[in-house]
This record gives sequence, structure tokens and C-alpha cells, in this order.
Amino acid sequence: MVAQLFLNGLVTGLLLALPALALTLVFGVLKFANFAVGAMLTLGAYAAWVANTQLGLSLPASAAVAATTVALTGILSDQLVFERLKNRDSISLLVASMGLSLVLENICRFFLGNASRSFDVPISRPMRWEGLRINQEQITTALTVCVCLVLVHLLLRHSPLGRAMRAVADNPSLAATRGVDRRLIARLTWALVGALIGLAGVLAGLDRSIDPQIGWNYQIPIFAAAILGGLGSPVGAVVGALVIGLAEEMSALIIPTNYRQIVSFTVILVLLLFRSNGLLSAKAVRK
Amino acid sequence: MTEGNSIPALAIEGLRAGYGRGGDIVRGIDLRQDPETILAVIGPNGSGKSSFVKTLAGLLDVRGGSVRVTGHDVTHEAPASRVSAGLAYVPQEANVFANLTIGENFKLATEFLRGRAGVGPEQRERVLALFPELAGRFRARAGDLSGGQRQMLAFASALLANPEVLLLDEPSAGLSPKIVDQTMEAVLRVREAGVTVLLVEQNVTAALRIADEAVVLVAGQLSLRARAADLRAADLGELFFAKVV
Repeated sequence: MVAQLFLNGLVTGLLLALPALALTLVFGVLKFANFAVGAMLTLGAYAAWVANTQLGLSLPASAAVAATTVALTGILSDQLVFERLKNRDSISLLVASMGLSLVLENICRFFLGNASRSFDVPISRPMRWEGLRINQEQITTALTVCVCLVLVHLLLRHSPLGRAMRAVADNPSLAATRGVDRRLIARLTWALVGALIGLAGVLAGLDRSIDPQIGWNYQIPIFAAAILGGLGSPVGAVVGALVIGLAEEMSALIIPTNYRQIVSFTVILVLLLFRSNGLLSAKAVRK
Repeated sequence: MTEGNSIPALAIEGLRAGYGRGGDIVRGIDLRQDPETILAVIGPNGSGKSSFVKTLAGLLDVRGGSVRVTGHDVTHEAPASRVSAGLAYVPQEANVFANLTIGENFKLATEFLRGRAGVGPEQRERVLALFPELAGRFRARAGDLSGGQRQMLAFASALLANPEVLLLDEPSAGLSPKIVDQTMEAVLRVREAGVTVLLVEQNVTAALRIADEAVVLVAGQLSLRARAADLRAADLGELFFAKVV
């Protein structure tokens, strides 16, 4: 049972990794905590559901639709909301993202109702290996997230765009003197972040039923993961997501599963009390 | 240094600038600097030295006047366009990307610049010849370098854009006296490589030791211009705290 919980926790952590990475990228480059991450995940799940069940597209094609939809929503949000507030403090931007969260969630609710939905995918039998039960959805999630993490790593470390994003995160005015267009980088960051959250929405829709609250179920664990890793640290966000995923699943050994979100709250509380910069951010971001 | 018929490396006329809706911090500065010279800008704390150099770099909006680099008007250009026009800038602090490696700092120095001639492998070789301490350390993180090494990296990154004029904002800030000497030696090497240097500096002794000329900035206005050698004996205290109308 412990091994099964460990496996489930690993997959849950991988699912959290994409939106936690998205949250930390926005914090690093644009300097605020995007509270709309959960609602954007909801939008991604619904966009994929519409493409899959109403337009008859395959799940991979629907995932591409979801990623594109949320990426465009991110760019539009930047244009209409965040760019106009760029000279305000991070609290103003956080509050604006709360407003965006309400708008996105209620757009989904208005057009698609409150009923629970699910993707039109064939039901498959779980694989059995060494006593472990491995669902097809878990394999899809693990593979998708691993590919995305490798691609994001290559983008951030080895491409001009990645260098520009890290330069803006590090020192925006120096980046401006080097010819890096902050506004263009902000939009491209939103596009990348939107695509990651959109894909996470599809994976969440495979894991549970799709309803207007689906993003809220992940909101606290996403924040806990990003804070644990150190806001602004991409590697930290992934490590934080894996730790939170494992901790939530393993907590089933000692507390009822209904209370497992208490793990995320506890992590946030402990970090705020003893290490507010998180595990990996102190050196990477503050220096 | 003397105002001749040749095109000045830097020509500033009636420059005014300030922050937000506040009053002018830079209050009508006129200045011409000949090519391949070091001009020190000195003055008391709060006299507007850093605001002046930020205005030249394009980080502070110009409210009046003009800025020309080798005859090219850059008054309303964005910071990056000024670099493309030959005006490079090294800020006072946080002048490298601390979370990036030396190699990445080098790449970022030019890969987003458009239309600057003389940028490429040959310029990189020239810059590395000026700062040999950086060669072979491209994988080191800039944030792990010592204060002096960071200054060298900041100078080198700015010089990779093959500038005509290099703006330095207090390069000695926060450095030990020994490292200050090394930094000023590096500024001399930069001038000898054919670059015009405008050096804003709080450390007057260090600045006057290497400068050809110096101007004293008080309350956003120039109150004196003289050869650096002549200024050593002058009563800078009286100039620094003189009342400016």
C-alpha cells in the first residue's frame, strides 16, 4: 500500500508541477503571484472538453486546443489587465489576478453550466506491475509532464528567449539596456504559462470530473508547491510539486483522505514561520 | 577636451529630466566631450549625478534638451537603441545578470541588439584581451564573482556592443581600495582601446587620478569644468556646497 501511495503521489506531484512552474515563472518575470492559476486550469479543462466531446477531436488535439486557448487568454489578460498595472506594486497585481480568476471561472460556469463533465475517452484496464496498479491516465500524465519539463528546461537554459526571460526576472532595467523588450517577454511568458496551465487542465480532467471548481481543488497545493520550492525558482517549483504530491498521498496513512489538503496548508504555514524564501530560492533569486 | 571642429563623441544641450510629476533633477546641462577621453562627473550626494547618467542611458525620460552620440540624435531613443547608436551604460549596482553565467551575460550583451556594426567574434576577442580574468570562466555564475570581477564583467558586457561612448555610474561603489585601483586601471584600458568614457564617481580622488577632465555637478547643474590635474588643488568643498541659483 505504501508503494501504491508513493506512485500515486509521484503522479499527483507531476500534475502539480506544470501549474506550479507556471506560477513561479510569472512571479519571477512579472513579479506577482498569479491567483488566477486555478481558474486558468479550469478554463483549460473546459476548452479540452469542448474540443473533445463537442467537436469530436482526439484527446491530444483537444490538449493542443486547451493549451492554445489558455495561452491566448494569458496574452489577452496581460494586454487588458496586467500591462496597465505594470507600475503598481505586486499586491495590486495579485488582487487583479483574483478578479481575473472570478471572471474566468464564471465564464466557464455561464456557458457550460455547473454539471460535472468528463472526456470522451475509452475506459482502459489498469496495468499491474509488482503489485502496483498503474492507470493509463497516470502514464499519460507522467509522460506529458516529463516531456513538458524537459522542453521548458531547454527553453529557459539554451534559447535566446529563455535567456531573455531570466534576464528580465533578474534585472529588468539592465535587460532593457541590452535590447530585451520587456513587454514582448511578458507576453511570451504569458503564452508559455498559459500553455502549461492549459495542459495541466487536461491532465486534471483525466484525473477527476470537470466542473467549475476543478481548478480550486489544485489552487492551494499549487501555491504550496511553488512557495516550498521558492517562488521564482523553476527547479524549486518542480521539486516542491513532487514533495507536496507525495506528502498529500502519503498522508492517507495517518489522516482521512478528505483532509489531505491540510498537508498543503501546513507546508505553507511552516514555511512562512521558518523559511519564507522556500527551499531553493534564497541563493537563486535574492542574490 | 577643447571644443574643436571635430564631431564630439557626446554632445548634450539644455538637458532636463526628473521623476514622475516631481521637479527637474537634471536642470539644463550643456556638455561636449571629445572622442577617446575620460570625463569625470563629480559632485555631492544628491546632486543628480546618477539621474544625469540614467537620462543619458534612456532610463529616465528627457523633459527638454538633446543628447547626441557622434552626431546621432538619441534624445528620444529607447535604451537599447542608444546602445545600437554607440552609447553603452554600466549601472552603479546590479550591473550584471547575477543568476546567469558569465557566458550567458556575454551572449545577452549583443544578441538582442539590432544594427550595431563591429559586434561579433572579433570584438569578443578584443574585449577578452582587455579583461583576461574572464576568459575560461564562462560557466561561472556572475553572482558568485567578487565585487571587482563583477565590475570587469559589467565593463566587458557593455564593451561587447562596440560602443563609442561608455557611461559608468560609480564603478567604485562598494569596492575595497585595492579593487577600486584595479577598476580604475580597467577604465584606463578601455579608454586606450579607443572608447570615450563618461565616469560618474563619488570617489573623487580615484576619478581625478584617471580622468582627462572633470565637471562638478551641484543641484542638477554644472558648476565647474576643468582639467582633472588642475582640479586637484581646487577647493572642491566650496564648489560642492556652493549655493546654486
